[in-house]
Amino acid sequence: MILKSLQHGFVQARSNKRMVAVYYLANLLFGLLLMLPLRAILSDFVGNSLMAARLAGPLDMDFLFEFFKHKNEAVSVFSGMSLVVPLVYWFFLLFLSGGALAVFAHGDKYHPTMFWGSAAKYFGRFCRLALWSVLFLAVLIAAYLSIIGIERLLLGSDPYQNLSYWKGWINLGLRSFLVLLFGLALDYGRIYTVLTDERNMRAALKHGIKFAFGNFLQTFGLAFMLLIIGAVLLVIYNPIANSLSAPHWLIVIMLFFVQQLYMVFRMLLRLTSYASQLHLYQQLAAEPVPATATSTSDLTMGDLGVAT
Amino acid sequence: MSRYGLIARLSGLGIVTICCITALAQPVIFPNPLSPRIANYDINVKLDTEKRMLYGSETLTWFNKSADTITELQFHLYLNAFRNSKSTFMKESRGISRGFKLDKEGWGFIEVNKITLPSGEDLTERMEFIQPDDGNPDDKTVFRLPLPKPLAPGKSIVLNMDFTARLPEPPFARTGAKKEYFFVGQWFPKIGVYIDGKWNCHQFHAYSEFFADFGVYNVRITVPEKNIVGATGLEVEVEKNGDGTATHFYHAEDVHDFAWTTSPEFVEFKGKAQDVEIRVLMQPDHADQGPRHLEAAKAAVEYFQNWYGDYPFPNLTVVDPRRGASGSGGMEYPTLITAGTNYGLPKGVRAVEMVIIHEFGHNFWYHLLASNEFEESWMDEGINTYTEIQIMNDKYGPVGDGINFLGIKINDLQFQRALHLFNADVDPIMRKAWEFYSGGSYNANSYAKPGLVLTTLQNYLGKEMMQKIMRTYVERWRFKHPQTQDFITVANEVSGQDLNWFFDQALFSNAILDYGVERIFTREVKKGEGYDFTLMASKPDSLIRDDKGRSDAVAAKSKPKIYESGFYVRRLGMFKFPVEIVATFEGGEKVHEKWDGQELWKKFTYLKPNKLVSATVDPENKIPLDLNYTNNSKAVQASSLGVNKLSARWLFWMQFLLDQPEFLNILSAITILF
Repeated sequence: MILKSLQHGFVQARSNKRMVAVYYLANLLFGLLLMLPLRAILSDFVGNSLMAARLAGPLDMDFLFEFFKHKNEAVSVFSGMSLVVPLVYWFFLLFLSGGALAVFAHGDKYHPTMFWGSAAKYFGRFCRLALWSVLFLAVLIAAYLSIIGIERLLLGSDPYQNLSYWKGWINLGLRSFLVLLFGLALDYGRIYTVLTDERNMRAALKHGIKFAFGNFLQTFGLAFMLLIIGAVLLVIYNPIANSLSAPHWLIVIMLFFVQQLYMVFRMLLRLTSYASQLHLYQQLAAEPVPATATSTSDLTMGDLGVAT
Repeated sequence: MSRYGLIARLSGLGIVTICCITALAQPVIFPNPLSPRIANYDINVKLDTEKRMLYGSETLTWFNKSADTITELQFHLYLNAFRNSKSTFMKESRGISRGFKLDKEGWGFIEVNKITLPSGEDLTERMEFIQPDDGNPDDKTVFRLPLPKPLAPGKSIVLNMDFTARLPEPPFARTGAKKEYFFVGQWFPKIGVYIDGKWNCHQFHAYSEFFADFGVYNVRITVPEKNIVGATGLEVEVEKNGDGTATHFYHAEDVHDFAWTTSPEFVEFKGKAQDVEIRVLMQPDHADQGPRHLEAAKAAVEYFQNWYGDYPFPNLTVVDPRRGASGSGGMEYPTLITAGTNYGLPKGVRAVEMVIIHEFGHNFWYHLLASNEFEESWMDEGINTYTEIQIMNDKYGPVGDGINFLGIKINDLQFQRALHLFNADVDPIMRKAWEFYSGGSYNANSYAKPGLVLTTLQNYLGKEMMQKIMRTYVERWRFKHPQTQDFITVANEVSGQDLNWFFDQALFSNAILDYGVERIFTREVKKGEGYDFTLMASKPDSLIRDDKGRSDAVAAKSKPKIYESGFYVRRLGMFKFPVEIVATFEGGEKVHEKWDGQELWKKFTYLKPNKLVSATVDPENKIPLDLNYTNNSKAVQASSLGVNKLSARWLFWMQFLLDQPEFLNILSAITILF
């Protein structure tokens, strides 16, 4: 069932290239917001030094130290932006997810009215869902802290470093697992909201948690597979990107192309995860849940919650 | 290896062995003393592991080898730095050393209970705490002892002292206890150095190390029987006392300090490098890194002996501090050093190698050449950083000798340069250790900058010449107290040059060194315009004619183009240093120039058939003291290739991080707090 959902999700995501493009462009735009100020500072510092050409090869650590010494405003600029931009981006993704899920829910192709209209329709609800999910997050953190407490009881306050080392890895794995659980609850809460037009977000979250845990092997298995695919993609990407290190403009363009291709795949993967989770939900739900609107053409401005 | 080192080592080891068997008299390592042996100690100390207490008795035999009649002695009581929050050390450090704080009940101290002469005369009441550096009445790290009768030149005095000390917890500023692990340094009443007609006995400061006279140490250390002991010198015998304790007798000659460590948990590794026996005492959770420590220690011994001279002592002990006790890590004592590692440390992160090479280096620059670290910290730490940079690069370089992990490659020299960059002009190197502007400035000027200064000098003089200087310095000043001028004198003499201009700037001023290329240009030489007064009167129709009578315009068409090119090299700091410059022209032609760097700037111009492409000052980065390599070069046409590549990489990682699952970073941030 997991593989079937995954396959279904991939086919659905791939057939919505415009939606992939929207996600990719959003990611690129926010990435550029974080990159461009730094590029300006970098350009100013390098000027027409030969260092500018040398940097096209392996990173020169002397340059890096000098850059932070002589252009320490770069750190403050980036620190400020790294707080704001990811937060805005996260809200924007929350916004887009309403559109993506609605398109997949109706088995339709990307249509601007459907996509953007649904995005707008569900954004408020998803924000409320996210707020409610903070409670779930608190429960997960409490569970995590309890496990840490048990570890401390078992190992004492002064464990050997080899124990601390492996405990550190185990805790990292545990944290990632909890993040995955949190993501599952949020994802299936959103799917439930889109499929049933639920307005009570506390109920949606409850349903999301219930579904995710009630079908844990399937929901976790699917999420884990998507995670593995992402990791495999990164493992494939990394040596290719690292091999593109010759200081030549053609190589730099190739590097940029490979990087962006990888990001397109990641966006495809993100949409695949929405579509396959939705498919899994529809397969596993006790009673099939019909979508609130059956096709794009049926979707009216009223359905979208917009006053007419 | 020097002659006396070899003889001493062979005969010394034999004699020590004989003495162990016969237990007749005090063992001898070096039949002919290597040092003046001014301060000699016989110490019995018992460790109470529960209370972190030391109960000791000490017999000091001190020789007045000065030309003065001595009326008082001065002593260090270093452990009193940790007596309370009002000591000079604690005030300067605000209670934090190397990131460590003392536990609530972790204070340490030392009390001298009794001082007597062999005649039985009690001098205890004569003790008076003094604060020669800052007048802080709460500081009890130095005391003076007026003598009942003056000590004439050439005479000696014997003092018996009883003392009690408590070690700080956790190990703090090099010394202390952590549960079953003890590292015991700066632990006994230690006489200062009488030099230049006065006592040189400074208080214990947050940013300072030590200064002492050479001597012979016989130390009997009583610890729980199950404990393993490592210490300065050679272990002569171990005697079980029948009460669950054992006494370890250590003997050391021609050393100026004595430290020891004990723990029941040490895992021992042994090896040999050239003629030096190496013993590594690892913590059980780091035992898998024992061979790595041993290899690093072997490399250190071999490099130093091959490059800088003989290490005359027969042994070296490397101690791995316990978890939670890294306040005692990365420290040097005669024939005993401490390192520091973590479980899982990747091989490409060469922290272990770097620290062992560094700490063993101290056995040359701090131990054999006992400079005054209170007043001239660079002579130990700085010279040692220079030798560490050279050895790391030769052994693990040329690229990534410090870190070579996951594609990140950083050289030790680059680490040191980074340290210098951020504290470049706050202080000169020559300052008393506690008078630097900040801890950062102390570190930069005692370690990093001198390392860069001597590397710059090496690149200026050549590696062979620099090694000759260092070898001569070691040979001439071993077992003495060299000062900065002594090093400079050796450098001048061996190199055959007057290098005072360099040392004056590098050591005694805060001048920064920065050369840069500016205002680069290349333009075609056009025909002249206007009147040429020698020709125009007779040939008003043409401004200039060539030797065949052709006008400028015609001549220009038939001649190859000529370009006037040039650039300015600017001295942007006050530090004057001769520099090499290379101008690169189209077609790859390179013109090498030299400039003494004395003026504020110098213009270089060329008339060539090729355009100038770029100009670079110090093209091989031979001057690591230069604060800014980026401005060392200019191209006529700017390239954005490197900036574009970095930007592309940065963009990618930003995109990648943004794409992580929602809430991942928030959750991680929250959980990281716990």
